[in-house]
Amino acid sequence: MKRGMLCFLSVCTIASLLSLAAPIIEVTDQMDQTVAVSTPVERIVSVYGMGTYYLYALGASDRLVRAWYVGVKTIAQAPEEMFRFEPHLEELLTSGDPSIEEMIALDPDLILVDGSRHGAFAEQMLDLGVPVLQFCVETPERLQEALLLVAETLGGEAQRRAALFGESYHRITATVAEDLALLAAADRARVLFIGTDLLRVASGDMYQTLLLEAAGGSSVSAELSGSWNEVSMEQVLLWNPDVIIIPPYGPVQPSDILDDPVWQSVAAVRDGRVHRMPRYIAPMDTPVPESLLGVAWLASVLYPEQVSIDLASEVHAFYATYYGMPLSEEELEALTRR
Amino acid sequence: MTGRRESSAWILVALAPVVFLAALLVGRFGIRFTDTFRALLGLGGVEDVFRALVLQVRLPRVLAAACIGANLAASGAAFQGLFRNPLVDSRILGVSSGAAFGAAVALLASAGWLGVQVSAFAFALVAVGIVCTIGSRLGSSPLVLVIGGVLVSALFNALLGLTKYVADPLSTLPAITYWLLGGLSTARWASIIPLLAVTVLGVTFLVAVRWRLNVLTLSDAEATAMGVRVRGFRWAVILVGTVLVAASVAVGGMIGWIGLVVPHLARAWVGPDHGRMIPVSIAVGAIILMVLDSVARSAMASEIPLGILTGLIGVPAFFLLFVRFLSQRESTR
Repeated sequence: MKRGMLCFLSVCTIASLLSLAAPIIEVTDQMDQTVAVSTPVERIVSVYGMGTYYLYALGASDRLVRAWYVGVKTIAQAPEEMFRFEPHLEELLTSGDPSIEEMIALDPDLILVDGSRHGAFAEQMLDLGVPVLQFCVETPERLQEALLLVAETLGGEAQRRAALFGESYHRITATVAEDLALLAAADRARVLFIGTDLLRVASGDMYQTLLLEAAGGSSVSAELSGSWNEVSMEQVLLWNPDVIIIPPYGPVQPSDILDDPVWQSVAAVRDGRVHRMPRYIAPMDTPVPESLLGVAWLASVLYPEQVSIDLASEVHAFYATYYGMPLSEEELEALTRR
Repeated sequence: MTGRRESSAWILVALAPVVFLAALLVGRFGIRFTDTFRALLGLGGVEDVFRALVLQVRLPRVLAAACIGANLAASGAAFQGLFRNPLVDSRILGVSSGAAFGAAVALLASAGWLGVQVSAFAFALVAVGIVCTIGSRLGSSPLVLVIGGVLVSALFNALLGLTKYVADPLSTLPAITYWLLGGLSTARWASIIPLLAVTVLGVTFLVAVRWRLNVLTLSDAEATAMGVRVRGFRWAVILVGTVLVAASVAVGGMIGWIGLVVPHLARAWVGPDHGRMIPVSIAVGAIILMVLDSVARSAMASEIPLGILTGLIGVPAFFLLFVRFLSQRESTR
């Protein structure tokens, strides 16, 4: 009887020690799934090309064992800067749809996926006992939630950085709002945000439109819905935007618009206000931590006289804080060019 | 009966220029009727923005729509006769699949609009070249060419899938997707001049040989007995039809149903004689695409892809024609 009792107590002790060593936390992801994650999370696969950058921002990139990177499908497409912050890029980078067997073989503690694209994959992995967090980042607020969610599973420094990111975002948007408080609605910049073609424009549902609004501008194509929309040249002339913004990817350059005779009637072209967003690592018009800089850059482009944000300091602080990469003068100049 | 058909044919052909002028008056931007015509005639007193809109935006676009509609319908009508198959359309020899792959590869390489057009055109010819090589090795009968077309289309569709799979989802994939949906939003003078040249030459050729196309609907033995060298003529029609479609797809992307439905509409209107059917197909194809493109660019703030509109109109139109064909067949029994 005594031996039985001793065995029982030993088992209980070992079990409680194990549970102390690997506490399980429950989090609710952005698809409202409650996921149990064993901590500490040491091995992470990010199938979500934008979510990969969350891990860099949170200082947890060393836990990546396989990753998708938005806009980079092969090592040849990777900008040189990426190798600076990720020396193991060649081993980590992958693309296409994830293979379940390969995922299992990697033995991850956590997988990050895009909920709207890889919901079925997430279900399969959860059935196999691998925790998966699904993201649905459609607004800057959801981006902050996403960072806090990942940070919750990582703990420590990651949680501090996620909180700092939220504070920085609120500080920048509050500064913009304050600086433009006296600006009448009629004086706000009417902006056309084009995509990878001259006549492909961002809809009102897109992250780009929300960034424009956060920067104090208004999108002339906000009435459109869905993703990128094809429009006619006539519609552009009808909108007659004050400013035209080109994303930091795709082939379109400001000169394509500024030198085109048909576009000369557009106010933005007459005033020379056609700008392509700069890019260093991830594109700052997408739901990645860089979109913090996207708001700051847009505000300083739309309202160079009114907005008091020191863009160079913001850019420098962002890459030093989140990527641990101090920028050179040339890099800083390229990123703050309007 | 023949006289009525003859006059119907001329009415439809005469309607095309009227629709062309009407399409120039339609758009998102409200331009007065008089300003449009003053701009077209090069008269003064028109604001620069209106002049640019009419001459640099609407005119090349409406011309492109007219040319593409005419080309797809003319080649569809010629191919239906040549292959003796009413379900054949202008894409039967793999030309669209080849062009789609060519455009996707060029978009993947960020080649710009000229590169996309050249690549689409070149791969369309490569696709048909492969089909013709298969045909010349295996007897060049219509059946061999149709099967060759199906195989080559499948091959290029698989290659297109591969390019989409490796394309960057942020930039290249949307570009490929939009190109495949078809549309003329990027039609400018520089991009449509080769199309205009090809259309004038190709359509003139098909109109000139329209009476001889009737012979292709007969068996080879019957045609030879009538003194027509079928083999050479068939290759010439295939070449011209292919170039017309390739040039059209290179500018407008994948615009379906025109090449299948319009020849049937023309046949229902003026009878099966290619002498009347080819000019009417050309006119109706041009009219339909000018009207649909006017809707595509004017109905909403965003463009409606032309391929979607032609599908929405083409499917019920084809169904109605099929029902009409069945009821006519019943009544003749």
